[in-house]
Amino acid sequence: MLENIKKLLLEFICRNFMVDENDVPQDRSLVDAGIIDSIGLIEISNFMEKEFNIMIDEEHLTRENFGSVEKMVNFIKRQMES
Amino acid sequence: MKHSYERCTRCILSAAFPRIEFDENGVCNFCRETILYTNETDSIEKARKQIENLLKKNKGNSEYDAVMCYSGGKDSTYTLMLAVKKYGLRVLSFTFDNGYISPTAFENIRRVTNYLGIDQFTFTPSKKNMNAIIKASALNPIYNARTLTRISAVCNSCISIVNMTALKIAIEKKLPFVLAGFTLGQIPLNGIVFKNNYEFLKESREAPLKRLREKAGEFVDSYLTLPDSLISEIDSYPHTINLLCLEKLTEEEIISSISEIGWIAPGDVDGCSSNCMLNSFSNMIHCRALGYNPYELELSHLIRKGLMTREEALAKISDQPVKQQQAVMKELGITENELDTLNGIYGKK
Repeated sequence: MLENIKKLLLEFICRNFMVDENDVPQDRSLVDAGIIDSIGLIEISNFMEKEFNIMIDEEHLTRENFGSVEKMVNFIKRQMES
Repeated sequence: MKHSYERCTRCILSAAFPRIEFDENGVCNFCRETILYTNETDSIEKARKQIENLLKKNKGNSEYDAVMCYSGGKDSTYTLMLAVKKYGLRVLSFTFDNGYISPTAFENIRRVTNYLGIDQFTFTPSKKNMNAIIKASALNPIYNARTLTRISAVCNSCISIVNMTALKIAIEKKLPFVLAGFTLGQIPLNGIVFKNNYEFLKESREAPLKRLREKAGEFVDSYLTLPDSLISEIDSYPHTINLLCLEKLTEEEIISSISEIGWIAPGDVDGCSSNCMLNSFSNMIHCRALGYNPYELELSHLIRKGLMTREEALAKISDQPVKQQQAVMKELGITENELDTLNGIYGKK
Protein backbone atom coordinates (compact mmCIF):
# COMPACT_ATOMS: atom_id res chain seq x y z
CA MET A 1 0.00 0.00 0.00
CA LEU A 2 2.74 2.46 0.99
CA GLU A 3 4.65 1.77 -2.22
CA ASN A 4 1.57 2.41 -4.36
CA ILE A 5 0.81 5.69 -2.55
CA LYS A 6 4.42 6.77 -3.00
CA LYS A 7 4.40 5.87 -6.70
CA LEU A 8 1.25 7.93 -7.39
CA LEU A 9 2.49 10.86 -5.31
CA LEU A 10 5.89 10.90 -7.02
CA GLU A 11 4.27 10.66 -10.46
CA PHE A 12 2.16 13.71 -9.64
CA ILE A 13 5.11 15.69 -8.26
CA CYS A 14 7.32 14.90 -11.26
CA ARG A 15 4.60 15.65 -13.84
CA ASN A 16 3.22 18.74 -12.18
CA PHE A 17 6.40 20.40 -10.98
CA MET A 18 8.51 19.39 -13.96
CA VAL A 19 11.23 17.47 -12.13
CA ASP A 20 12.88 14.09 -12.56
CA GLU A 21 12.21 11.49 -9.88
CA ASN A 22 15.93 11.43 -9.07
CA ASP A 23 15.72 15.12 -8.15
CA VAL A 24 12.93 14.59 -5.60
CA PRO A 25 14.33 14.10 -2.08
CA GLN A 26 12.45 11.49 -0.01
CA ASP A 27 13.31 12.77 3.44
CA ARG A 28 13.54 16.53 2.97
CA SER A 29 10.96 19.28 2.51
CA LEU A 30 10.06 19.89 -1.15
CA VAL A 31 9.89 23.58 -0.27
CA ASP A 32 13.43 23.53 1.12
CA ALA A 33 14.55 21.62 -1.97
CA GLY A 34 13.16 24.41 -4.17
CA ILE A 35 10.70 22.10 -5.96
CA ILE A 36 7.46 23.71 -4.82
CA ASP A 37 6.20 27.09 -3.61
CA SER A 38 3.05 28.07 -1.69
CA ILE A 39 0.73 27.23 -4.60
CA GLY A 40 2.60 23.92 -4.94
CA LEU A 41 1.62 22.93 -1.40
CA ILE A 42 -2.02 23.67 -2.24
CA GLU A 43 -1.72 21.63 -5.42
CA ILE A 44 -0.32 18.64 -3.55
CA SER A 45 -2.95 18.73 -0.80
CA ASN A 46 -5.75 19.00 -3.41
CA PHE A 47 -4.22 16.12 -5.38
CA MET A 48 -4.14 13.99 -2.24
CA GLU A 49 -7.81 14.69 -1.48
CA LYS A 50 -8.90 13.77 -4.99
CA GLU A 51 -6.59 10.83 -5.70
CA PHE A 52 -6.82 9.09 -2.33
CA ASN A 53 -10.32 10.24 -1.39
CA ILE A 54 -9.22 11.69 1.94
CA MET A 55 -10.18 14.87 3.80
CA ILE A 56 -7.44 17.36 4.59
CA ASP A 57 -8.30 19.99 7.19
CA GLU A 58 -6.44 23.15 8.13
CA GLU A 59 -4.84 21.52 11.15
CA HIS A 60 -3.32 18.80 8.94
CA LEU A 61 -1.27 21.31 6.96
CA THR A 62 1.87 21.00 9.06
CA ARG A 63 5.53 20.23 8.48
CA GLU A 64 4.96 17.00 10.38
CA ASN A 65 2.55 15.79 7.68
CA PHE A 66 3.92 17.56 4.60
CA GLY A 67 7.62 17.98 5.47
CA SER A 68 8.86 15.30 3.04
CA VAL A 69 7.62 12.70 0.57
CA GLU A 70 7.96 10.01 3.26
CA LYS A 71 5.89 12.08 5.71
CA MET A 72 3.24 12.76 3.06
CA VAL A 73 2.98 9.04 2.23
CA ASN A 74 2.54 8.15 5.91
CA PHE A 75 0.01 10.95 6.36
CA ILE A 76 -2.05 9.69 3.38
CA LYS A 77 -1.99 6.16 4.76
CA ARG A 78 -3.16 7.35 8.20
CA GLN A 79 -5.98 9.37 6.67
CA MET A 80 -7.10 6.48 4.46
CA GLU A 81 -7.24 4.19 7.48
CA SER A 82 -9.00 6.63 9.80
CA MET B 1 14.58 11.24 -30.90
CA LYS B 2 14.82 14.91 -29.92
CA HIS B 3 14.11 17.60 -32.52
CA SER B 4 15.53 21.09 -32.61
CA TYR B 5 13.07 23.98 -32.83
CA GLU B 6 13.26 27.52 -31.45
CA ARG B 7 9.59 27.57 -30.48
CA CYS B 8 6.63 25.16 -30.54
CA THR B 9 4.80 25.35 -33.85
CA ARG B 10 1.39 25.00 -32.17
CA CYS B 11 1.71 27.12 -29.00
CA ILE B 12 4.45 29.69 -28.26
CA LEU B 13 6.60 27.86 -25.69
CA SER B 14 10.23 28.33 -26.63
CA ALA B 15 13.15 25.90 -26.55
CA ALA B 16 14.43 27.48 -23.30
CA PHE B 17 11.25 26.51 -21.38
CA PRO B 18 11.99 23.86 -18.70
CA ARG B 19 11.59 20.21 -19.77
CA ILE B 20 10.35 21.05 -23.24
CA GLU B 21 10.76 18.58 -26.10
CA PHE B 22 9.60 18.90 -29.70
CA ASP B 23 8.38 16.16 -32.04
CA GLU B 24 9.27 15.96 -35.72
CA ASN B 25 6.58 18.57 -36.52
CA GLY B 26 7.87 21.02 -33.92
CA VAL B 27 4.95 20.39 -31.54
CA CYS B 28 6.00 20.51 -27.89
CA ASN B 29 5.31 17.86 -25.27
CA PHE B 30 3.04 20.30 -23.35
CA CYS B 31 0.71 20.52 -26.36
CA ARG B 32 0.88 16.76 -26.96
CA GLU B 33 0.30 15.61 -23.43
CA THR B 34 -1.40 18.66 -21.87
CA ILE B 35 0.79 17.84 -18.90
CA LEU B 36 -0.28 20.76 -16.77
CA TYR B 37 -4.00 20.80 -17.45
CA THR B 38 -5.41 17.30 -17.27
CA ASN B 39 -9.13 16.80 -16.52
CA GLU B 40 -9.67 20.54 -16.74
CA THR B 41 -13.45 20.48 -17.20
CA ASP B 42 -13.98 18.23 -14.17
CA SER B 43 -11.70 20.35 -12.01
CA ILE B 44 -13.41 23.60 -13.03
CA GLU B 45 -16.85 22.16 -12.31
CA LYS B 46 -15.66 20.90 -8.93
CA ALA B 47 -14.28 24.37 -8.14
CA ARG B 48 -17.54 26.01 -9.31
CA LYS B 49 -19.61 23.86 -6.92
CA GLN B 50 -17.19 24.52 -4.06
CA ILE B 51 -17.33 28.29 -4.69
CA GLU B 52 -21.14 28.31 -4.92
CA ASN B 53 -21.38 26.46 -1.59
CA LEU B 54 -18.86 28.76 0.07
CA LEU B 55 -20.65 31.90 -1.15
CA LYS B 56 -24.04 30.58 -0.05
CA LYS B 57 -22.71 29.82 3.42
CA ASN B 58 -20.69 33.02 4.00
CA LYS B 59 -22.40 35.87 2.12
CA GLY B 60 -23.77 38.71 4.22
CA ASN B 61 -22.02 37.86 7.48
CA SER B 62 -19.39 40.63 7.52
CA GLU B 63 -18.88 44.33 6.73
CA TYR B 64 -17.95 43.23 3.18
CA ASP B 65 -18.19 39.75 1.66
CA ALA B 66 -14.77 40.00 0.07
CA VAL B 67 -11.70 42.08 -0.56
CA MET B 68 -10.84 42.15 -4.26
CA CYS B 69 -7.24 42.55 -5.47
CA TYR B 70 -8.00 45.09 -8.18
CA SER B 71 -5.11 46.19 -10.41
CA GLY B 72 -7.22 48.15 -12.88
CA GLY B 73 -6.18 45.72 -15.63
CA LYS B 74 -8.70 44.01 -17.92
CA ASP B 75 -8.88 40.66 -16.10
CA SER B 76 -9.34 42.05 -12.60
CA THR B 77 -11.85 44.59 -13.93
CA TYR B 78 -13.93 41.77 -15.43
CA THR B 79 -13.56 39.72 -12.22
CA LEU B 80 -14.73 42.67 -10.10
CA MET B 81 -17.72 43.09 -12.38
CA LEU B 82 -18.50 39.35 -12.06
CA ALA B 83 -18.23 39.51 -8.26
CA VAL B 84 -20.63 42.44 -7.94
CA LYS B 85 -23.08 41.90 -10.80
CA LYS B 86 -23.20 38.12 -11.28
CA TYR B 87 -22.50 36.89 -7.74
CA GLY B 88 -24.02 39.85 -5.86
CA LEU B 89 -21.07 40.21 -3.51
CA ARG B 90 -20.41 43.29 -1.38
CA VAL B 91 -16.81 43.93 -2.34
CA LEU B 92 -14.06 46.15 -0.95
CA SER B 93 -11.78 46.94 -3.89
CA PHE B 94 -8.08 47.05 -3.01
CA THR B 95 -5.34 48.35 -5.31
CA PHE B 96 -1.61 48.00 -4.74
CA ASP B 97 0.30 50.94 -6.18
CA ASN B 98 3.87 49.85 -6.93
CA GLY B 99 4.70 53.30 -8.31
CA TYR B 100 4.43 52.17 -11.94
CA ILE B 101 0.68 51.87 -12.46
CA SER B 102 -0.43 53.58 -15.66
CA PRO B 103 -2.42 56.81 -15.03
CA THR B 104 -5.08 55.38 -17.38
CA ALA B 105 -5.34 52.31 -15.11
CA PHE B 106 -6.02 54.56 -12.13
CA GLU B 107 -8.69 56.37 -14.13
CA ASN B 108 -10.18 52.96 -14.96
CA ILE B 109 -10.19 52.02 -11.27
CA ARG B 110 -12.04 55.23 -10.39
CA ARG B 111 -14.58 54.84 -13.22
CA VAL B 112 -15.27 51.14 -12.63
CA THR B 113 -15.57 51.32 -8.84
CA ASN B 114 -17.84 54.37 -9.18
CA TYR B 115 -19.98 52.54 -11.73
CA LEU B 116 -20.26 49.49 -9.49
CA GLY B 117 -20.87 51.65 -6.42
CA ILE B 118 -18.23 49.99 -4.26
CA ASP B 119 -15.58 51.21 -1.79
CA GLN B 120 -12.01 51.46 -3.03
CA PHE B 121 -8.74 51.44 -1.07
CA THR B 122 -5.22 51.99 -2.48
CA PHE B 123 -2.04 50.99 -0.66
CA THR B 124 1.14 52.78 -1.80
CA PRO B 125 4.42 51.68 -0.17
CA SER B 126 7.25 54.23 -0.05
CA LYS B 127 8.93 54.61 -3.44
CA LYS B 128 12.36 54.00 -1.87
CA ASN B 129 11.27 50.67 -0.39
CA MET B 130 9.37 49.56 -3.47
CA ASN B 131 12.23 50.36 -5.83
CA ALA B 132 14.63 48.45 -3.58
CA ILE B 133 12.36 45.38 -3.75
CA ILE B 134 11.99 45.66 -7.54
CA LYS B 135 15.73 46.08 -8.09
CA ALA B 136 16.64 43.20 -5.78
CA SER B 137 14.08 40.92 -7.47
CA ALA B 138 15.32 41.85 -10.93
CA LEU B 139 19.04 41.38 -10.38
CA ASN B 140 19.21 38.44 -7.96
CA PRO B 141 17.92 34.85 -7.91
CA ILE B 142 15.37 35.49 -5.13
CA TYR B 143 12.83 32.88 -6.28
CA ASN B 144 13.10 29.30 -7.51
CA ALA B 145 13.36 28.90 -11.27
CA ARG B 146 10.27 26.65 -11.13
CA THR B 147 8.15 29.42 -9.59
CA LEU B 148 9.23 31.63 -12.48
CA THR B 149 7.79 29.36 -15.19
CA ARG B 150 4.51 31.27 -14.75
CA ILE B 151 5.59 34.75 -13.69
CA SER B 152 8.55 37.13 -13.72
CA ALA B 153 10.51 37.67 -10.50
CA VAL B 154 9.49 41.34 -10.27
CA CYS B 155 5.79 40.49 -10.79
CA ASN B 156 6.10 37.74 -8.20
CA SER B 157 7.36 40.24 -5.61
CA CYS B 158 4.50 42.64 -6.33
CA ILE B 159 1.90 39.85 -6.33
CA SER B 160 3.27 38.53 -3.03
CA ILE B 161 2.76 41.97 -1.45
CA VAL B 162 -0.72 42.19 -3.00
CA ASN B 163 -1.67 38.78 -1.60
CA MET B 164 -0.25 39.48 1.85
CA THR B 165 -1.92 42.91 2.09
CA ALA B 166 -5.26 41.46 0.96
CA LEU B 167 -4.91 38.69 3.54
CA LYS B 168 -4.22 41.30 6.24
CA ILE B 169 -7.32 43.28 5.23
CA ALA B 170 -9.48 40.14 5.18
CA ILE B 171 -8.25 39.04 8.62
CA GLU B 172 -8.58 42.50 10.16
CA LYS B 173 -12.12 42.90 8.85
CA LYS B 174 -12.99 39.22 9.33
CA LEU B 175 -13.94 38.82 5.66
CA PRO B 176 -14.50 35.28 4.34
CA PHE B 177 -13.04 35.83 0.85
CA VAL B 178 -10.11 37.30 -1.01
CA LEU B 179 -10.87 37.67 -4.72
CA ALA B 180 -8.18 37.68 -7.40
CA GLY B 181 -8.35 38.06 -11.16
CA PHE B 182 -6.03 35.28 -12.29
CA THR B 183 -6.83 33.05 -15.26
CA LEU B 184 -5.89 29.42 -15.86
CA GLY B 185 -2.41 29.41 -17.26
CA GLN B 186 -1.41 32.06 -14.73
CA ILE B 187 -2.34 29.72 -11.88
CA PRO B 188 -2.73 25.92 -11.72
CA LEU B 189 -6.17 24.28 -11.72
CA ASN B 190 -5.98 23.65 -7.99
CA GLY B 191 -5.52 27.35 -7.38
CA ILE B 192 -9.05 28.39 -8.49
CA VAL B 193 -10.25 28.21 -4.89
CA PHE B 194 -8.21 27.47 -1.79
CA LYS B 195 -8.24 28.20 1.90
CA ASN B 196 -5.33 30.38 3.00
CA ASN B 197 -3.04 28.92 5.60
CA TYR B 198 -0.45 31.35 6.88
CA GLU B 199 1.89 28.76 8.43
CA PHE B 200 1.98 26.95 5.08
CA LEU B 201 2.53 30.21 3.24
CA LYS B 202 5.19 31.38 5.68
CA GLU B 203 7.15 28.15 5.36
CA SER B 204 7.08 28.20 1.58
CA ARG B 205 8.19 31.83 1.47
CA GLU B 206 10.88 31.60 4.15
CA ALA B 207 13.84 31.05 1.82
CA PRO B 208 12.93 33.68 -0.82
CA LEU B 209 12.01 36.17 1.92
CA LYS B 210 15.42 35.67 3.53
CA ARG B 211 17.15 36.33 0.20
CA LEU B 212 14.97 39.39 -0.46
CA ARG B 213 15.68 40.70 3.06
CA GLU B 214 19.43 40.32 2.49
CA LYS B 215 19.33 42.17 -0.83
CA ALA B 216 16.65 44.83 -0.22
CA GLY B 217 16.55 45.33 3.55
CA GLU B 218 14.82 44.24 6.77
CA PHE B 219 11.80 46.39 5.92
CA VAL B 220 10.50 43.73 3.49
CA ASP B 221 9.03 41.84 6.47
CA SER B 222 6.44 44.56 7.02
CA TYR B 223 5.07 43.96 3.51
CA LEU B 224 5.43 40.19 3.30
CA THR B 225 4.55 38.80 6.72
CA LEU B 226 1.62 39.00 9.13
CA PRO B 227 2.28 40.61 12.52
CA ASP B 228 1.96 38.27 15.53
CA SER B 229 -0.74 40.53 16.99
CA LEU B 230 -2.91 39.83 13.93
CA ILE B 231 -2.20 36.09 13.86
CA SER B 232 -3.46 35.79 17.43
CA GLU B 233 -6.82 37.26 16.31
CA ILE B 234 -7.46 34.71 13.56
CA ASP B 235 -10.51 32.49 13.99
CA SER B 236 -10.51 31.13 10.46
CA TYR B 237 -8.51 32.00 7.36
CA PRO B 238 -10.32 33.39 4.31
CA HIS B 239 -10.62 31.49 1.04
CA THR B 240 -8.96 32.93 -2.06
CA ILE B 241 -11.19 32.66 -5.15
CA ASN B 242 -10.34 33.29 -8.82
CA LEU B 243 -13.79 33.75 -10.36
CA LEU B 244 -12.51 34.42 -13.87
CA CYS B 245 -11.19 30.83 -14.11
CA LEU B 246 -14.83 29.65 -14.17
CA GLU B 247 -15.55 31.62 -17.37
CA LYS B 248 -14.52 30.71 -20.91
CA LEU B 249 -13.92 34.04 -22.62
CA THR B 250 -11.66 35.50 -25.26
CA GLU B 251 -9.71 38.69 -24.53
CA GLU B 252 -11.91 40.46 -27.08
CA GLU B 253 -15.07 39.44 -25.19
CA ILE B 254 -13.61 40.60 -21.88
CA ILE B 255 -12.56 43.99 -23.29
CA SER B 256 -15.91 44.43 -25.02
CA SER B 257 -17.80 43.87 -21.74
CA ILE B 258 -15.66 46.13 -19.57
CA SER B 259 -15.56 48.88 -22.21
CA GLU B 260 -19.30 49.23 -21.67
CA ILE B 261 -18.65 50.33 -18.09
CA GLY B 262 -15.95 52.83 -19.01
CA TRP B 263 -12.72 50.80 -19.10
CA ILE B 264 -10.12 52.15 -21.54
CA ALA B 265 -6.94 50.30 -22.68
CA PRO B 266 -3.85 52.19 -21.48
CA GLY B 267 -1.43 53.19 -24.24
CA ASP B 268 1.67 53.27 -22.04
CA VAL B 269 2.05 49.57 -21.24
CA ASP B 270 3.44 46.55 -23.15
CA GLY B 271 1.46 43.93 -25.08
CA CYS B 272 1.15 41.60 -22.07
CA SER B 273 -0.14 44.08 -19.50
CA SER B 274 -3.17 46.32 -19.24
CA ASN B 275 -2.12 48.32 -16.17
CA CYS B 276 1.61 48.21 -15.28
CA MET B 277 4.41 50.25 -16.86
CA LEU B 278 6.98 48.02 -15.17
CA ASN B 279 5.94 44.91 -17.05
CA SER B 280 8.08 45.27 -20.16
CA PHE B 281 11.19 45.75 -17.98
CA SER B 282 10.25 42.68 -15.89
CA ASN B 283 9.77 40.58 -19.04
CA MET B 284 13.10 41.70 -20.47
CA ILE B 285 14.87 40.74 -17.22
CA HIS B 286 13.14 37.32 -17.28
CA CYS B 287 14.18 36.71 -20.89
CA ARG B 288 17.79 37.65 -20.10
CA ALA B 289 17.94 35.43 -17.00
CA LEU B 290 15.93 32.41 -18.15
CA GLY B 291 15.78 32.65 -21.92
CA TYR B 292 12.00 32.79 -22.37
CA ASN B 293 9.15 35.27 -21.90
CA PRO B 294 7.23 34.78 -18.61
CA TYR B 295 3.89 35.00 -20.47
CA GLU B 296 4.60 32.02 -22.72
CA LEU B 297 2.89 29.48 -20.44
CA GLU B 298 -0.27 31.56 -19.95
CA LEU B 299 -0.64 32.52 -23.61
CA SER B 300 0.06 28.96 -24.75
CA HIS B 301 -2.74 27.78 -22.51
CA LEU B 302 -5.12 30.28 -24.16
CA ILE B 303 -4.03 29.03 -27.61
CA ARG B 304 -4.72 25.40 -26.65
CA LYS B 305 -8.14 26.39 -25.33
CA GLY B 306 -8.95 28.16 -28.60
CA LEU B 307 -9.23 31.53 -26.85
CA MET B 308 -6.31 33.16 -28.68
CA THR B 309 -4.49 32.56 -31.96
CA ARG B 310 -0.77 31.80 -32.05
CA GLU B 311 -0.25 34.98 -34.08
CA GLU B 312 -2.03 37.10 -31.46
CA ALA B 313 0.09 35.57 -28.71
CA LEU B 314 3.32 36.14 -30.63
CA ALA B 315 2.31 39.76 -31.25
CA LYS B 316 1.79 40.24 -27.50
CA ILE B 317 5.19 38.95 -26.45
CA SER B 318 6.84 40.93 -29.27
CA ASP B 319 5.25 44.20 -28.11
CA GLN B 320 7.92 45.12 -25.53
CA PRO B 321 8.66 48.86 -25.79
CA VAL B 322 12.38 49.44 -25.19
CA LYS B 323 11.73 53.03 -24.11
CA GLN B 324 9.64 51.77 -21.17
CA GLN B 325 12.42 49.37 -20.19
CA GLN B 326 15.02 52.13 -20.32
CA ALA B 327 12.85 54.50 -18.27
CA VAL B 328 12.52 51.89 -15.52
CA MET B 329 16.25 51.10 -15.60
CA LYS B 330 17.02 54.79 -15.18
CA GLU B 331 14.55 55.11 -12.30
CA LEU B 332 16.08 52.08 -10.54
CA GLY B 333 19.68 52.96 -11.36
CA ILE B 334 20.32 49.71 -13.25
CA THR B 335 23.11 49.68 -15.86
CA GLU B 336 23.58 47.63 -19.05
CA ASN B 337 26.58 45.99 -17.37
CA GLU B 338 24.32 44.71 -14.59
CA LEU B 339 21.97 43.21 -17.20
CA ASP B 340 24.91 41.33 -18.66
CA THR B 341 25.31 39.46 -15.36
CA LEU B 342 21.78 38.00 -15.50
CA ASN B 343 22.41 35.14 -17.92
CA GLY B 344 22.58 31.91 -15.90
CA ILE B 345 21.83 33.35 -12.43
CA TYR B 346 19.20 30.63 -11.92
CA GLY B 347 21.63 27.86 -12.86
CA LYS B 348 21.42 25.68 -15.95
CA LYS B 349 18.63 26.69 -18.35
